[in-house]
Amino acid sequence: MISERRMERRRGNDSNGAGSRANALGLRRGFWRAALALSTVLVLGSACKKGDQAGGDKSDKKPILIGITADASGQYAASGDSDKRGVIMAINEFNARGGLLGRQIKWIHADTESTPATGSRVAERMITQDKVDFLIGAMSSGVANAISQVAQKYGVVYLNTNSSSPSESGENCHRTKFVWDGNGNNFAQAAVKGAIGKFGKKWLLITNDYGWGHDTSNATRKLATENGATIVDELLVPQGTRDFGATLLKAQQKHAEVIAAAVGGDDLKAMRTQVSQMKLGSKYAWINNQQDWPDVYGLPKTDIFGVFGTTWYYGFDLPGVKEFNARYQKENADSKIKTPGNVFYNGYWATRSLLETIEKAKTTNNHAVIKELEQLRIPATVRMQHHDAFMNPKTHQLQQTIYLATANMDSKDPEDLFKVLTNTAPDQVVDKEADAKCKLEPFEATPVYPAAVAAQ
Amino acid sequence: MNLLPHLINGIALGVLFGVIALGFMLIVGVMEVINLAHGSLFALGAYIAMEIINPGWLGRFGESFVAIPLPIRYALALLLAPIVIGVVGMGLERAVRRTYGKKAEYGLLLTFGASLVLEEGIRIVWGKGEQHLPVPESVDGPILAGEVIYSKYRFFAAALGIVLMGLVWLFLEKTPYGARVKADAHDSEMVRALGINIGRLRLFVFAFGAALAAAAGIILTPIWGLRPHVGVDAVIPAFLIIVLGGVGSFWGAVIAGLLVGLTVGITGGFAPDWANMSMYLLLIFVLSFRARGLLGKKSALEA
Repeated sequence: MISERRMERRRGNDSNGAGSRANALGLRRGFWRAALALSTVLVLGSACKKGDQAGGDKSDKKPILIGITADASGQYAASGDSDKRGVIMAINEFNARGGLLGRQIKWIHADTESTPATGSRVAERMITQDKVDFLIGAMSSGVANAISQVAQKYGVVYLNTNSSSPSESGENCHRTKFVWDGNGNNFAQAAVKGAIGKFGKKWLLITNDYGWGHDTSNATRKLATENGATIVDELLVPQGTRDFGATLLKAQQKHAEVIAAAVGGDDLKAMRTQVSQMKLGSKYAWINNQQDWPDVYGLPKTDIFGVFGTTWYYGFDLPGVKEFNARYQKENADSKIKTPGNVFYNGYWATRSLLETIEKAKTTNNHAVIKELEQLRIPATVRMQHHDAFMNPKTHQLQQTIYLATANMDSKDPEDLFKVLTNTAPDQVVDKEADAKCKLEPFEATPVYPAAVAAQ
Repeated sequence: MNLLPHLINGIALGVLFGVIALGFMLIVGVMEVINLAHGSLFALGAYIAMEIINPGWLGRFGESFVAIPLPIRYALALLLAPIVIGVVGMGLERAVRRTYGKKAEYGLLLTFGASLVLEEGIRIVWGKGEQHLPVPESVDGPILAGEVIYSKYRFFAAALGIVLMGLVWLFLEKTPYGARVKADAHDSEMVRALGINIGRLRLFVFAFGAALAAAAGIILTPIWGLRPHVGVDAVIPAFLIIVLGGVGSFWGAVIAGLLVGLTVGITGGFAPDWANMSMYLLLIFVLSFRARGLLGKKSALEA
């Protein structure tokens, strides 16, 4: 009920409101009625012209509708907001160019509340009632998995933008789902070997007691033991834990050299605060699987500890980054986050890549779009990363550069939070387990969507 | 495994849980209103304290204010933010007043609605992201005891919590105003017959409860972190503790808070995956034998 109330609909500009007002006046004055009729003709004429210029499907001018399934409440609310902003900026860029296939791109958003059941309900409603063409957005693997099951049922292409559980491109993969974030296994591969050599072989795992946490810690455990490390213990932390006193005391009693934490969302924020208070950040080598930008933005640098993974940093000295940052700041002046982070970046690139793929496929038909996405390759210079990215057709996870970073204590700029330590090419951190576990549904078992648009 | 660190941690945690429950207990005990906005007041108090400590929005005055040592600004925030939230609580009481004498659901729904409004207001003003409530350097950092590192702030917070509990107890037990509050909880008709303005008294109690929620927020958020929905993390244990301790009982809330803290702390040391669940199991266990909670009958709020 609450999420229904929060349902946000933005179909087009404010012309509807202006039109209504003009119409009301027109009832009283013939002049205004005539002016309204004339302006309507002009607007329609202009729209047709745009469609012709874009070379789109002239028989179907209804907008392409994208359903944004980003959390606006719950423990991923802050990241969900960044995710949504990234999606919208990519859509705005296409609309500024005249739309896609001669059609404007509209979006609707509903709060998935960081809850799988809500994600499932929102996806069902967006597909059956709002008739969206595509679904985009996720922070939590539970929510992403729930949405993707509904999307697969109807054949709707769904982009999991920011959930990094290995299971999303492993056992929970779907033909209609594409995953755009690096996963726990990718990050673990980038971090583990170096950490064993540098920090020691006695490892302790702290694991959030749900799907993503277990998947990520299992990947770390496997890699660490394969490379000669010993796992001294694994401490399970229930989701929703706010007091880490007992966990941190027990961690100390285990005398580990390296602590690999797969703790996410608000739990990670609480743990980070408490680690910082006890100054444990410098006592152990911490490997934090991934650090989302919205979770640390605005915090003192002393609260950021250990080494962690990310997929992008606004401070890269790479072509296009400055312009991208400037576009972000222009479009998101109302945001409390003044610099784009990895979550925004993933949301933006997932959407942009989808729209470019539709343009290339010249249709919104799901089978055609999926086939194009499976062949996706993006040069590093375009994606503002250090290595080319490509879609793994077996798992539907984008293979991209994986970065390891730490707090940037050298910089006095409070925005310059990260110091990027390494970048690893995607072929060095392939999640082979996902390759083995993922069984994509065949195209024959994936409904054609939208049913009215046949594949070309 | 050495049990002692976990026992100490559990006691400190218990005191903090008790602090969270104090304001909640007062409002439920006196007014029989389950204030679901308690968590949002807890969060708002911490945000207001953050603004008092670093009032960047005040321009030049703010800049010169920040030059004052942090311990003084922190102490000011600890004093002023609860007063501000007390005023917010008064506004809320004016709204809740219409539900007195009606079904409990009315008050429940109204305070639930108020909690949503407050939380959304926090999001609009401060954004959805994580914020930082600074604490004085002298109480931050680690304490080394044997081979184990403790958090200095946690002990400071627990000490602050004990002081707060002591002040509430002194107020309830040793002042004529406290006597009126207790009398109202016991027999409001008699209090009215004695010429005491019940409306004003309840306004004050609600404000006091809200101020205590704010104080708990200021004490706890440097440990839990500060975000718009942090209040949700407070209201659930608060509710559990007052039911466990006995609705309206001051000492019930204190003892239940300690019990919950010890249970969570020790379980966290041996079976961390059961730590959150352990407090609910404790509640089920106690209520199975004593449905009115630990001190439900011997409430300090009873005459």
